[in-house]
Amino acid sequence: MTEAAMEIGGVNRNDRFTRGSRLVGVLSKAGLAFAILAVMLYGSFVSPAFFTSGNLLNVLTSMSIVGIVVVGMTFVLVVGGLADLSVPATIACGAILSLGLQPVIGPLPAFVLAVGLAGLIGLLNGVLVGYVGINPIIATLGIGTIGLGIVQAAVGGVIVYGSNPASAEFAKGRLFGIPVVVLIFLVIALVGHFVLSRSFWGRWTLATGGNYSAAEASAVPVQAVKAGAFVITALASGISGGLLGLTLQSARPLIGGGYEFSAITAVVVGGVSIVGGFGSVPRAIAGLIFVQLLTNVMVLDGVRTPIQGFVLGILIVGAVGMDAALRKRGVS
Amino acid sequence: MRFLSLVSQYRVIVILGLTLVISALVVPGYLSASTLGLGLDRAATIGLIAIGLTVLLISGQIDLSGGAVFALAGIVSVILQREIGILPAAIVGILVGTLAGAVNGMLVVGLKVNSLVLTLATMLIFRSLAHWITNSQPVTGTDIMLSLALAKIYLDVFTLRSALFIALIVLLHFWLTRTIPGRNVFAVGSNPAAAKESGIASDRIVFLGFVFAGTLAGLAGVLQSLVTNTGSPVFGSELTVAVIAAVVVGGTRLEGGRGSALGTLGGVLTIGSLTIAMEFQSVPAYVQQVVSGLILILLVVLDRAVTTKGRAPGTRPALVRDNPITQGGTT
Repeated sequence: MTEAAMEIGGVNRNDRFTRGSRLVGVLSKAGLAFAILAVMLYGSFVSPAFFTSGNLLNVLTSMSIVGIVVVGMTFVLVVGGLADLSVPATIACGAILSLGLQPVIGPLPAFVLAVGLAGLIGLLNGVLVGYVGINPIIATLGIGTIGLGIVQAAVGGVIVYGSNPASAEFAKGRLFGIPVVVLIFLVIALVGHFVLSRSFWGRWTLATGGNYSAAEASAVPVQAVKAGAFVITALASGISGGLLGLTLQSARPLIGGGYEFSAITAVVVGGVSIVGGFGSVPRAIAGLIFVQLLTNVMVLDGVRTPIQGFVLGILIVGAVGMDAALRKRGVS
Repeated sequence: MRFLSLVSQYRVIVILGLTLVISALVVPGYLSASTLGLGLDRAATIGLIAIGLTVLLISGQIDLSGGAVFALAGIVSVILQREIGILPAAIVGILVGTLAGAVNGMLVVGLKVNSLVLTLATMLIFRSLAHWITNSQPVTGTDIMLSLALAKIYLDVFTLRSALFIALIVLLHFWLTRTIPGRNVFAVGSNPAAAKESGIASDRIVFLGFVFAGTLAGLAGVLQSLVTNTGSPVFGSELTVAVIAAVVVGGTRLEGGRGSALGTLGGVLTIGSLTIAMEFQSVPAYVQQVVSGLILILLVVLDRAVTTKGRAPGTRPALVRDNPITQGGTT
């Protein structure tokens, strides 16, 4: 290739980069909308129970608990933090402490303290990933193991039950006909969306994930931004765990198992790039809706749980592979 | 910092020594041959998976699906016993591990995605398969006497499993330090682009690394199932952290390009003796998890402190940041 051609190649590359990501955008947006419609159509054909208000409300409620985690996880992926595997620990922390501390300090302070301590786990993750520079998966795997162990040790490895009926009524109740859990999810999603797409913190998050060195050179506090994403996820999963505990009125130490995968699947299927720098909360929630509806249809269809996990795994591989393929076409 | 990097280099010996001394002080009769043999046998399971992971980490990749492959291979080897006999079933079980590794390798090399994320997804897939095949119930084998034969202790210390582990790790040591393919693994791990330019088939090495890791996880799973005469879909779920901790204790870097078989041997022995010591003191499982998590985090932080600050000027500065595993890129 000649000098000139390389020059043009360089220019084109920039041009193609924008076209590439637009292509990614159009494909994943239209693709997801189509996929959601397809699942709904299929669901209403296979099962008469699918399009009942009771079923859809159930989907919405269970979606909300995962959804709160998804909002946080979006920040982790966008900032280039790969994934937060300590979610089961932070959910357990939120659920067990918000129930276990009820008799001691009252329901609301217990909830706040539980979420705060979950945030502390996130802070540890954040310091290790953002400041010390440790691989996020290893750091969150290690901290998650430690956190879950401590939470289990704190209650002696047993199941904790709720003792405050009023708080349970509130968590299971409805406001204007909509479950409270769903409302809380909507508020958190809106705040998350606003922060990621309209605030300086969101711009910093996108910049850090897109090009770490360039962001650092542009005086973005990259370390704090990276650490912040893990704190946000931990706070979100703490809230999610607390709500889960309050609605179930019981919490076992392994209550949060699997939520990390559900959240990662939703975010990745929504088209948020696994290597960071690209993505939004609505996108992740679209991915969540698709995955949840698909799971619901599978349940109604009588598909066994292991097969659902199998399908989720394939979905992640497919989405990650597609992300890599589209990015390659866009960038190089 | 010179001191820190010295500690980091010879830490396996220091940590293993400390573990043994403290355990011997706390647990009466700890240093008897039978206790140590028991520890070694227990460590062999972690060790076999760690052998595969050592090679993968040196080549700059990671496999989180080892625990799930472990369960799947064990289940297959137990279920097929009735149909085709014990030995063929065991071989098929190990081949399941090989196949799982090949799937991982093909996806990582073919899709060019981060192996951390990909093996996280395949872990979910393999684990679901294990639940699917067994209906989430443990399965039992046909010959209960076989497990007794496998648990037999030779020369007061070795079981079949632990002898196999020791033999394999010695072989790995020679392969890594004395042969050209072994050296190529280091080259691919320290700088994939440079390795490719020098005519090393990086992709093939990475692919074979995954196949190797899958095969060993399968072997470990089959042996475990034969010894316990059971295959269970939940086997190996707590192994991931322990195996990574063992390899990291042994001085193999998550960043790739560095590590040794003998280090891994030391790391595995450390985790094994620690587990046995805690079990003898009836420490609950969740506290044991806290300990292995703490060891992992502390050592990774130590590694980090040594590589970023204690590095001699001009030696491998960009690698840590450029490596896909440490920073999540896809190169």
